[in-house]
Amino acid sequence: MAAVPNALPKQVVVATRGLKKTYFGKVETRVLHGIDMEVYAGEFVAIIGQSGSGKSTLLNILGALDVPTEGTVLIDGVDIATLSEDELAHLRNRVIGFVFQFHYLLNELSCLENVLTPITISRGEASKAETSYVSALLERVGLADQVNKHPDAMSGGQNQRCAIIRALANQPKIVLADEPTGNLDSRSGNEVFKIMREMNREKGVAFIMVTHDDRLAQEADRILAIDDGWVREVDKRAHRMKLLSSLSDS
Amino acid sequence: MSSLSWIPLKWRFESRLALRYLLTGGGQTLLTIGSVAAGVIVIVFLTSLIFGIRGRLTTMLTESIPHVTVKVRDLEPVPLSELHDLESAMSSSRVEKKAPQLKFIDNWQHAVDIIRTVPNVRVALPAIQGQGFASKGGNPIGVMITGADPAQQDEVSPVTKDLIAGKYVGLVADEVVIDYELAKDLSVSVGDRIRMTSSTGNTESLSIAGIYSGGRGRGGAYVTLRTGQSLFGVGNSVNAILVKVNKLFGSDEVADRIQSLLPYEARSWSREFPSFVSSLAVQAASAYLISGFSLIASSFAIASVLIVSVLRKSKQIGILKSIGATRSQILRVFTLEGLVIALTGSLAGAAIGSLLVFLLSLPLQRTARPGHPPDQLFPVAILPVYIFGAVIAAILATLVAAWFPAKRAAQMNPVDVMR
Repeated sequence: MAAVPNALPKQVVVATRGLKKTYFGKVETRVLHGIDMEVYAGEFVAIIGQSGSGKSTLLNILGALDVPTEGTVLIDGVDIATLSEDELAHLRNRVIGFVFQFHYLLNELSCLENVLTPITISRGEASKAETSYVSALLERVGLADQVNKHPDAMSGGQNQRCAIIRALANQPKIVLADEPTGNLDSRSGNEVFKIMREMNREKGVAFIMVTHDDRLAQEADRILAIDDGWVREVDKRAHRMKLLSSLSDS
Repeated sequence: MSSLSWIPLKWRFESRLALRYLLTGGGQTLLTIGSVAAGVIVIVFLTSLIFGIRGRLTTMLTESIPHVTVKVRDLEPVPLSELHDLESAMSSSRVEKKAPQLKFIDNWQHAVDIIRTVPNVRVALPAIQGQGFASKGGNPIGVMITGADPAQQDEVSPVTKDLIAGKYVGLVADEVVIDYELAKDLSVSVGDRIRMTSSTGNTESLSIAGIYSGGRGRGGAYVTLRTGQSLFGVGNSVNAILVKVNKLFGSDEVADRIQSLLPYEARSWSREFPSFVSSLAVQAASAYLISGFSLIASSFAIASVLIVSVLRKSKQIGILKSIGATRSQILRVFTLEGLVIALTGSLAGAAIGSLLVFLLSLPLQRTARPGHPPDQLFPVAILPVYIFGAVIAAILATLVAAWFPAKRAAQMNPVDVMR
């Protein structure tokens, strides 16, 4: 099990016990072999690993989008296996925020309307206070003049920033980010990561970010590596050294 | 956003998204609405045309004839062997019908009173009908002579409506109204006198009071009841009671009822023309069939467009579910989209179809009947009940067509579609 720094609050928002996932296709593929992990409120955790190592599968299970073959997932203290379809939808709406590699904003809606979608899904209409809250967040990430634009009229970086604010609109406890910078150039990627880190610190939201970018992972509070379906805590100091040596080699 | 404030909060997200999908759908939305509208236009047009033709044919056939004709029954010949009071040795080698001859209803006032008590009877008219000849110096021309009260006769077989000269109502004893073809053959006009000779040989000189043109080939000659009785030498009797009913297709029941009440033969128009009635039924059935097929065809078109739309939005559906949209919310989004398409398309189709039918119903075609106003371009009839039916049927068909893609969308697994 991964160790937790003493400085961080101890409230567990995500916990898994013996999490296994096997895909039963033509060939049986075991992706996760037994993951035990905990993520604390306000923590920023990076998950790294090779392609196909099971990072995204783990994130989907943590986000109640996929179900494990075995094991338990506790989100904010609730075993999600006990929840109904509608209760899972409510959990994804109120407790969890998602950011994907692609922004997946709805082209039919403006930036502001997209950001308000989690609120309108749960309550039909956003209140003035809620609209002000997300407008302030949009302004905070430099999208004040883009609120009425539609995704196809905005840049990739702007869309991803918009997607981050959408993930935060309902003030969730956890944001799950699956390679959020993977589809952006390094400058936009850095900006998006910076915003996520700031939101994590300012709002106290726990972030679990899957990334291939060792540099961004180094900026997280903790790094978890998935190797062949097993999770292990990465020593940040060793990771930093490895990163520096790879930079000097290149 | 405030424009949807009338929609309950529970449905507002779904309504807004469905409308937004439609508004931003552009050509695809128009194509889908067009499919629904086309289906409704076809149904409105077809039913108007087929039932218009049916109405016109039925009117043409039945407006000039009695719906039920009451006459003395023709005696059927009976073989000698079936007569019990004759010696069994007698037999008949040949059975022959009696030659047709006029038979009279003597107590017709009583019969008319009884017929008028039968439900659905509008008019019961005592009349004399028989063959005769009309002549003006030259060769006599055969003509069907009807003697009856003009005002009531107008309700049985309209004459005044088709008059192109003179009068019919107010006809006096020595007057006759003849048809345009006969007047042309005899080279006579209103005011001239012609000789009418009945099949019984009686002759009267009658003044032409009016000439009519029914547009149905050569018509008969109309005289008063008194003149008819005199021409056929029947005294105070009549040989037919002509009945007009309110509900055209209820004439069989009226005829049966009259036959059960009176010792006469009552024949309804629909039994006189059974193949006509069955062809009307075939026409109606074909209208329903074509309407049904066009609805099914447009439903398939709508379903395929909506399925493509759902597939194109798979990733969006995935993200909506990942941020908390429930299955029923996704189902509602796409069902509402279908409902708006159904309502818009069917109402537009009903409006365009009705306008088309109205334009085709304008009397712009020159008539073949002299002295009459122009006819309709097509014999169409605007039938609100069928238009309403087409709208309801199209809405239901579209909702069914929208339901399957909507259900498919609701069941999408976000992980699968966003992978």
